[in-house]
Amino acid sequence: MREHLIEVKNVSVTFGSGSNKVEAVKNVSLTLSAREPIGIVGESGSGKSTLARVLAGLQKPTSGEVFFDGEPVYRGSRSYSKEQRHLVQMVFQDPYGSLNPQMTGISAVAEAIRFHQKSDKEEAKLHAFMLLEKMGITELDAKKKPRQLSGGQRQRVSVARALSANPSVLLADEPTSAIDQSAQAQLLNLFRGLLDEGLAIVLVSHDLGVIRYLTERVYVMKDGQFVESGDTEKIFANPKEEYTKLLLASIPGKLGNDLT
Amino acid sequence: MTNPLVQIKDLEIGIPHPRRETLTIVRRANFDVNYGELVGIVGESGSGKTMVCRSLIGTLERRGATVVSGQVLFEGEDLAHASEVQWKKLRGSEIGYVPQSALAGPNPVLTIKAQLAEALKNSKSSESIAAQSKALLALVQIRRVDIVMKQYPSQLSGGMRQRVMIACALAQNPKLLIADEPTTGLDVTVQAQIMKLLKEIRQDFGTSIVLISHDLALVDDVCDRIVVMHAGATVEVGTVADLFQPKHPYTIALNRSRIDIAIPGSELITIPGNAPSVGEWASGCRFAMRCQFQQSDCLIGDHPDLMNITNSHQSACLHMELLGGENA
Amino acid sequence: MKVSNSSAGAKRKYRREGTFGLVAGFGMLLLLLLAGFIFPLISKYDPNQPGLTPLLAPNMENYFGTDILGRDIFTRVFDAVFIDLGTSLVGVVIPLTVGTIIGTLLGISKRKRINSLVGSLIDGINAFPFLIFVIAIISFVGPGIPSILLAICLMNWARYARVARTRAVVVNDLAYVEASRTLGYSKPRILFKHIIPNVSSETVAYALSDFIIVIIGVAALSFLGFGVNPPQAEWGLMIRDGAQVITLAWWPTVFPGLALCWTGIAVAFIAEGTNRRLKESNPK
Repeated sequence: MREHLIEVKNVSVTFGSGSNKVEAVKNVSLTLSAREPIGIVGESGSGKSTLARVLAGLQKPTSGEVFFDGEPVYRGSRSYSKEQRHLVQMVFQDPYGSLNPQMTGISAVAEAIRFHQKSDKEEAKLHAFMLLEKMGITELDAKKKPRQLSGGQRQRVSVARALSANPSVLLADEPTSAIDQSAQAQLLNLFRGLLDEGLAIVLVSHDLGVIRYLTERVYVMKDGQFVESGDTEKIFANPKEEYTKLLLASIPGKLGNDLT
Repeated sequence: MTNPLVQIKDLEIGIPHPRRETLTIVRRANFDVNYGELVGIVGESGSGKTMVCRSLIGTLERRGATVVSGQVLFEGEDLAHASEVQWKKLRGSEIGYVPQSALAGPNPVLTIKAQLAEALKNSKSSESIAAQSKALLALVQIRRVDIVMKQYPSQLSGGMRQRVMIACALAQNPKLLIADEPTTGLDVTVQAQIMKLLKEIRQDFGTSIVLISHDLALVDDVCDRIVVMHAGATVEVGTVADLFQPKHPYTIALNRSRIDIAIPGSELITIPGNAPSVGEWASGCRFAMRCQFQQSDCLIGDHPDLMNITNSHQSACLHMELLGGENA
Repeated sequence: MKVSNSSAGAKRKYRREGTFGLVAGFGMLLLLLLAGFIFPLISKYDPNQPGLTPLLAPNMENYFGTDILGRDIFTRVFDAVFIDLGTSLVGVVIPLTVGTIIGTLLGISKRKRINSLVGSLIDGINAFPFLIFVIAIISFVGPGIPSILLAICLMNWARYARVARTRAVVVNDLAYVEASRTLGYSKPRILFKHIIPNVSSETVAYALSDFIIVIIGVAALSFLGFGVNPPQAEWGLMIRDGAQVITLAWWPTVFPGLALCWTGIAVAFIAEGTNRRLKESNPK
């Protein structure tokens, strides 16, 4: 096993052309190792979601390279190979769009399990119930359609679906932004448990409070570039950049106050 | 003035239905808002916090809900069954409303200038509409006022749109401003700015502000007093200082699940289960099923009323003695 | 969706929203179909055989009266049920299926050239006057039900395709579709299991309202002489024949017209019922 699970080298992503060019990501490099969860923090428009999609294999960079376990991720027009595809999964920001509105939670997760573990229908269903239970979704709720579930519950179903693929890396793009404080706590606890089980997590958020709780290294992103990066604790204790200080002061509650 | 600006008394809100029983969504809501005070209403989705505020702005009917019993007192006048004519006189001039940032927003087909002009329609000021508009935009800390006036909402960021909404709500200098989750979906940096703005408005104009949020940490930061709601009931009311020693298990649990005071890497203490949804309320205290201090008498009878602990602090827990030294 | 206020007490049963509309609409159609099956069978009259006293007012022998050629209108109206309903059904289902698939593929495709080419084709067809197209087809293939169907299908699919394409573009960007890509699902699976079902919710809704238009279209084309070959009974044709003698007799026009209305109202009920059902589960 290589030391770095994911390596991003000088990646840029540019949309459009000519006068309509938008440089969402500019020359960004980072590494992700197992057992060292990282955070990417920035406001909307910083490019962090685009970067997350690059890591997920959904957005080919305009320049630069991405390696997973030493192998290049983007070759030609394809991204992750069949063998590697299941190893990197993503949980998306919008809990309302992240589940197929016509499928119940259990069928969405069972579908993923059947696909990845080639099990039969009954086995997959059983396995899916267990996985959803682990995520705090009761059997009753599992049979509901997304519109009958709360935002927090939908996020947890999404996590269950992602875990069905047995990934080594979980990318979470603003998973807590659209849900209640209490649901946020449940979700973060879930992530922490997954970390303890050895899953590598990349947490993308605009809230440093959430990043502080979960990650060990953080990259601060602004206008497509990293302005500061380092150990989460050190950044909190001793932020160097003005922008980082601004983000720290904005954390709702005591943290923000203590740090201003 | 010693009388509160707003008094919500034993408020019960329900959704009547021609073929079924009336669905109760708020029962036993009690709290006051004093002049010049910033009050935060905290609760999970479905706790009824938005509905209570709808009763203060007169938009319950639009959602098919009505006040079943209780009083909604604004400056002593009961608005529980006020007519649309009465509401039209109050909205804007006495009570302003800022909606959730993700949902409504400035009218997309009007320029900011037109938007503000409409809000200033009934203004009694002698200055020109244009001058007042510019003053309002400056008030909400929008620079480059001349440029922004000519723009359409789609050209502004989410944060700026919310500022415009706040400006419109303040156009006629109302006594009360209701901000319903005004920063949901906005970045924390923008949220911090808007909270700062609200505090300044309260400071400079003495406007009472009601801030609805699901985030206890945010409300703790910004407000003078906090009202905690769970499953359609107010379960604890008190000043921020009072709530350093919360006296209701729900508030304690909410406090414990705050991320800003959590120790990185440790387990966050979450509230088990989900809040009972409307229509599935059991008898007795509606938090009992999720409460670690549950006693046998918590499950019978009506939901407990708010009981006075001090002049400013009230809680709806039957067994506050068990809560001991639980701290924030 | 939610049961009313009571957990321990008796759960009062209630109907889902829209049940009335759906039951009424399908009920009406079912009745019509049954009548269309039974009445021509048991009737003592041959629907296409003239011979009775022409233009007899409705009476005990001829419930709907007779037409100008002396045929029993009652038998004819119900003999036409399968033709009218069947043609309209085909005229909706085929464009629905074809249009949904083509529109969806277009919506998710990234190839600019194909997209603009087919897109222009769709816009062009949608803008083209229907009647001229029908006349053109008829002049090639001759009148009759197959020709009408051909014309309708060739033109109508484009309207569904446009609806489907707009919706597909939105659905394609939704998080769960992206998730199905990270999960490694095959393209066909994503298309048929995740994208199309959510696009067809829109196109099927469109189809419900389209059905009425198509029925009237089929009747209108027959009215103009392009459709069914006489002596086969068909409501539009019957209305045309009846229009010629409207000053003498109202019944040759009114009864086939009522049959059309019955169908239209039934479909309207179904559409309204479906609408309410959807609103109930997605209150916004």
